[in-house]
Amino acid sequence: MSYEMIAILMFSTMMLMLLTGQRVFGAIGFVAVISALLLWGTGGSEIGFSAAIKLMKWYPLLTLPMFIFMGYVLSESRIADDLYKMFHVWMGPVRGGLAIGTIGLMVLISAMNGLSVAGMAIGATIALPELLKRGYDKRMVTGVIQAGSSLGILVPPSVVLVLYAMIARQPVGQLWLAGVLPGLMMAAMFILYIAIRCRLQPELGPALPAEDRDISTAEKLRLLRAGLLPLGIFAVMMVPFVNGWTSLVESSAVGALAAFLAAVLKGRMTKEVFETSVRNTLGISCMFMWIIMAALAFGAVFDGLGAVRAIENLFTEQLGLSPWMILILMQLSFILMGTFLDDTAMLVIVAPLYVPLVRALEFDLIWYGVLYTITTQIAYMTPPFGYNLFLMRAMAPPEISLGDIYRSIIPFVGVMILALALVMTFPEIALWLPNTVYGR
Amino acid sequence: MPSAVKTYVRLVDRMNRLIGRAVMYGIFLMMAILLWSSISKTFFLPSLWTLEMAQFAMVAYYLLGGPYSIQLGSNVRMDLLYGNWTPRRKAWFDAVTVLFLIFYLGVLLYGGLSSTSYSLEYGERSATAWRPYMWPIKIIMCIGIFLMLLQAVAEFFKDIARIRGTELGRGLDIGPTGEARPAADGDRS
Repeated sequence: MSYEMIAILMFSTMMLMLLTGQRVFGAIGFVAVISALLLWGTGGSEIGFSAAIKLMKWYPLLTLPMFIFMGYVLSESRIADDLYKMFHVWMGPVRGGLAIGTIGLMVLISAMNGLSVAGMAIGATIALPELLKRGYDKRMVTGVIQAGSSLGILVPPSVVLVLYAMIARQPVGQLWLAGVLPGLMMAAMFILYIAIRCRLQPELGPALPAEDRDISTAEKLRLLRAGLLPLGIFAVMMVPFVNGWTSLVESSAVGALAAFLAAVLKGRMTKEVFETSVRNTLGISCMFMWIIMAALAFGAVFDGLGAVRAIENLFTEQLGLSPWMILILMQLSFILMGTFLDDTAMLVIVAPLYVPLVRALEFDLIWYGVLYTITTQIAYMTPPFGYNLFLMRAMAPPEISLGDIYRSIIPFVGVMILALALVMTFPEIALWLPNTVYGR
Repeated sequence: MPSAVKTYVRLVDRMNRLIGRAVMYGIFLMMAILLWSSISKTFFLPSLWTLEMAQFAMVAYYLLGGPYSIQLGSNVRMDLLYGNWTPRRKAWFDAVTVLFLIFYLGVLLYGGLSSTSYSLEYGERSATAWRPYMWPIKIIMCIGIFLMLLQAVAEFFKDIARIRGTELGRGLDIGPTGEARPAADGDRS
């Protein structure tokens, strides 16, 4: 049997296994070890365990539990409530202002944690009910929260980029910096869209009525202090890192401690919050780690086969596709897969195949990391099987139907595709900052 | 179900829960090690041991915590089809496919044991300045994988019980949509 055939067989078996609904790590791990055993006999039996050792030696992975913990502390302790109030008061008088404020809130939350789920949880529990109460269109609101939460993995710190860095063997610091401008650009584009849409159709996002606006300037200024919290946490984490006093991993621990202390000082770290944060951190970290461990084994078998070269050959030589067409095809396949796979699973399954391909096509891997991140977020939000859609459904109040959620994201997906196209056409948007800072 | 099976499931569930709940505070251990690392680097001489100690702590954290994460239902499943099935049908599929999971864990453990015995025999040390012996962490890793194996077998029994229309253990694993979030009532006991 040719190596291409074995590779295709491995992939299709894995897909089939995943469809049965068994835990993702079990499905991937099983295909990895059984192929290793069939290919190399008993010599292949250690491939699973050496993946565990490989995972242990990959130092930046330690940021993962830190950022997950940080995200849970922030969302469970609800210290973001004050932040929301700040945006509420300052942006309320503008048409669509609360929606714009929600995007602003999401940017700040993104700067404090690296998962999109935390932003979604905060948005759905704090912003969503408020906006509905103020007569905002429900589709507008759900769309805003889903789009806003996608910034979480683009604005540093980002867990997805840490994972990408591991697989693509690229420096995490540069990847994070590369995510900054595209993330802010996308936020600005969302805001622009909301502002224009609400100017044309004021009923979608009415300005706050006069009596709600009657807040003294002193009070308004006092509320601004809420903004100090994310800035503080971000600074505590980033300043020592940028100055080279701490490594990335140490910074993540400092950030986790800062978030924890902030919650304690604000009196929000109740026993219940503590228990939920610590327990969920273990649960989600274990989920990630076990999947990564299985996927590393899968990737090792793949590497051993030399399957990547075969597939690259198939695309460039036999089908005669240009590098850009292959790149666009890859992004499309991500969107397709994102409809039924979680982004981590998607990354660890597909990246071992795509990353060497991208490298062989002589594209910049830092830039590709940003493209990947935006694409997965689009995939995450596209019906019928977007992962975010279901999360939203689980968190939203009952008057918002799945149909509403589906329709709500269409314009925002459009904006995101535009952002993706911009970053593809002008790689400088992503690369300028890391190039300047690191002098590449 | 035979009472031996019931006892097994109860014991494994309880043991893994206890271990998991102890290990979950490991997040603070990792944090402490990393903070010490940055403090010592800034004010004193950088410590040699922090980097690897943090890595060891992380591996112990997720391998020993794995079985508890299964109890919490944190492990994602692809719910394209699975999400729409009846509990009975889910149990049928799980009962079969969990055997694949058990197989994977078995191979993992086999590789782990052979790697550990190598480390013990030759006194393998890590190739860093601190040069710690590798066998202690490898033993911990093997224990973690073994516990995961025990848990997976317990899950198998639970699925069989579900097919027969009864419930073994607290049955926390199957969430309403099988999503990544642990069940909110995961700790009612």
